Amino acid sequence: MAIPGSGRTFNLSVISPELKVFEGPVKFAVVPAHDGEIGILYGHAPLIALLGEGELRVETTAGTRLFRVAGGFVQVLENEVAVLSEQARDA
Amino acid sequence: MQKARDIRRRIRSVQSTRQITHTMEMVAASKMRRAEERVRAARPYAGKLSEVISGLFAPDLAERYPILRQPEEIRRSALILLTSNRGLAGAFNVNLIRLARTRLEELRADGVDVEFHVVGRKGLSFFRFRREKMASERIDITDRPSMADAHSLIDPLIPCFERGELDAVDIVYAQFKSALSTPPALMRVLPVEPAGGNAARASNYIFSPSSEDILTFVLPLYVRNAVYRALVETAAAEQGARRTAMKNATDNADELIKTLTRRYNTARQSQITQELTEITGGAEALRG
Repeated sequence: MAIPGSGRTFNLSVISPELKVFEGPVKFAVVPAHDGEIGILYGHAPLIALLGEGELRVETTAGTRLFRVAGGFVQVLENEVAVLSEQARDA
Repeated sequence: MQKARDIRRRIRSVQSTRQITHTMEMVAASKMRRAEERVRAARPYAGKLSEVISGLFAPDLAERYPILRQPEEIRRSALILLTSNRGLAGAFNVNLIRLARTRLEELRADGVDVEFHVVGRKGLSFFRFRREKMASERIDITDRPSMADAHSLIDPLIPCFERGELDAVDIVYAQFKSALSTPPALMRVLPVEPAGGNAARASNYIFSPSSEDILTFVLPLYVRNAVYRALVETAAAEQGARRTAMKNATDNADELIKTLTRRYNTARQSQITQELTEITGGAEALRG
């Protein structure tokens, strides 16, 4: 695979005000941003984007996890991805 | 000298009270542990929020965003007081009420028009009795506050602040420092006072949409989260204060039982001695 960043893992956490829904190493994540989906791989540039409503797909080393988010934002910085949403839960 | 039987009855009554306070202590301890867990679980979100906001914030934005406005003079402000719905938590509610009263007096002395919001049965009954005018009275927030509670508490106030109808919003809540230390505290929710930003790092970000749009979206989240934090901390602090109060009550009951038992033994002893004296006295008289 020639796609840069593919295959390597980065840290992702899904955080709601009440609790940390998920935290761990992931290979790939698809985030429902306000204007469409954003795919995130290892080595993504620093990013802050607002979220829309939809499904957050996370490819962990152990398989795919799905979450529902509505509103909030995602922050990517140095292979640390934080998804913050007032409504974030397991789908 | 009290009769032995009367003392016996008192011991039994103290013992049953002790059983109640001891149970309440253990219930409060377990509730506190769960509430403490919620306080801890709220930290990552709060940390990230302030990190992002301080990265986005620049002083010149204050003029463009109503929610960031820093009023030079405070003429109208809102004060939210959080108290518990239940008592038997020692000085917990009294301390909160006292802080709220001092704050009210301070603000009024400065000529500020105060809109007073009270949460919790204990605060309500106090200020109702004092005939204090309250803008809202709420008893529906449980000992497991949710984000929805924070929404309903602060959401009506944010637009008022943006329109300039309010110049400040303060919350009186109980800080949860530890199980033993739950001091009342005052937190300024609005205007937002972001910590000094790290502008260099912020400029590297890709923003979608623009950083200004993100800031306008994230700021209300920040304000709401501050309220949520006050709610969960107060809930945990209430259980902590109750546990301490009930522990003291249990210890006092133990002490009381000890003294009463000693007095009971003395009374019983002297009763027996007296009875013996009477019997031997009677026997002596018959023989004589």
